[in-house]
Amino acid sequence: MKDRALLLLYLAAIVAATFVHEPARLAAALAAVLLLSGRRAPRVLGRALRAAAPFAAAVSLGWLAAAWWEQRPAGAALLRLNLRVLLMTCLTFALAARVDLQRALGFSRTLRFALVLAVSQVLTFRRLHADFRLALRCRSPRRVSTATALRHGAATGAWFLRRAEHDAGEIAQALDARGFFLDQR
Amino acid sequence: MHVPDGFLGPQTYLPAYGVAGVMWAAGLRRLRARLDAATLPRLAVVTAAAFVLMMITVPLPGGTTVHVAGIGMLAVLFGVWNAFLSLSLVFLLQALLFGDGGVTALPVNALAMGLVGSLAAVGAYGLLRRWSRDAALFAAGWAGTVAAALVMAGVLGLQPLLSHAPDGSPLFFPFGWKTTLPAVVLPHLAVGVADGALALLAGRFLAPRTAPAPPGRGPEAP
Repeated sequence: MKDRALLLLYLAAIVAATFVHEPARLAAALAAVLLLSGRRAPRVLGRALRAAAPFAAAVSLGWLAAAWWEQRPAGAALLRLNLRVLLMTCLTFALAARVDLQRALGFSRTLRFALVLAVSQVLTFRRLHADFRLALRCRSPRRVSTATALRHGAATGAWFLRRAEHDAGEIAQALDARGFFLDQR
Repeated sequence: MHVPDGFLGPQTYLPAYGVAGVMWAAGLRRLRARLDAATLPRLAVVTAAAFVLMMITVPLPGGTTVHVAGIGMLAVLFGVWNAFLSLSLVFLLQALLFGDGGVTALPVNALAMGLVGSLAAVGAYGLLRRWSRDAALFAAGWAGTVAAALVMAGVLGLQPLLSHAPDGSPLFFPFGWKTTLPAVVLPHLAVGVADGALALLAGRFLAPRTAPAPPGRGPEAP
């Protein structure tokens, strides 16, 4: 119940942020989110900046260049856009990170099971992907060439597809053995 | 193509949630109707595979990198509805667990990549399959990515028209179609080649070899 309420609060805050257009109010909301995050505020801000920066920077620089070329002001629009993006990303890391998604989405048994299985596999696959990347770096005394990176990408992709097929079979047998599909009928 | 929060206005994402909600309900109903010992784990694991495939970067000449999305591969191997649900779940996990993408962009990302991309991929595959299966697989991967990029460019370019301040300055994504169409679609013509290669690899090499790993042992690491 707490998780579902927190998820709803987060979604309401996200929607509200798209209806506020004054930079001062967006900045105040951002400050409030960071204050409410307490000691986690620097971490929340850092993660939000890292997550939002690539797309926001590309758009902002492009808009700045276009405004300079056409000799029109760009400051207010840029400030509003970046404050909103930062506020929404901070909200995600401050609120959504505290939500237990499996409980919050517990209204659908099928969705919850798919989510539990997917998250567990995602975490495993992410770790394995990091391992493969580090392994390639370890066995390459010089900078990895484009051809090697392409071959490694293809081999890693193929490995994950085969591993996915393999794991799907294993999980299906495990669920079947525990009577999961009998409970569903 | 994978848009974060804050770039799409409520005039876009609220109707998109309406459309995507109907599609998610239809997809879940189909999934429940066909629920057997293989469907649910397969969907979950394919979701995880799609998630990690999006982390694999492909180097491009000039020092930049792109990542594949696997839309065509998922659509051809697992069907449009499974690909749609699987990619939607990927975007949900990316948005809420890892802060990548966003919940306001989720329905647009899901509809563009999961639904339109998958339909384009399956359409291209169906058109070319009788002529050459390899060409059909490659075209499916390429068409899925490019179709999704086209939709995304269209939606992004719509933002300045839908939401702007009284002085005319944009409230959300600032560029119109003249900028978004070339800026989003052209790089994805190259990304489509990588996705085409992935679909070809998956369809040609992996599909016939889905069962060879002995029980209890996964494939050997690359």
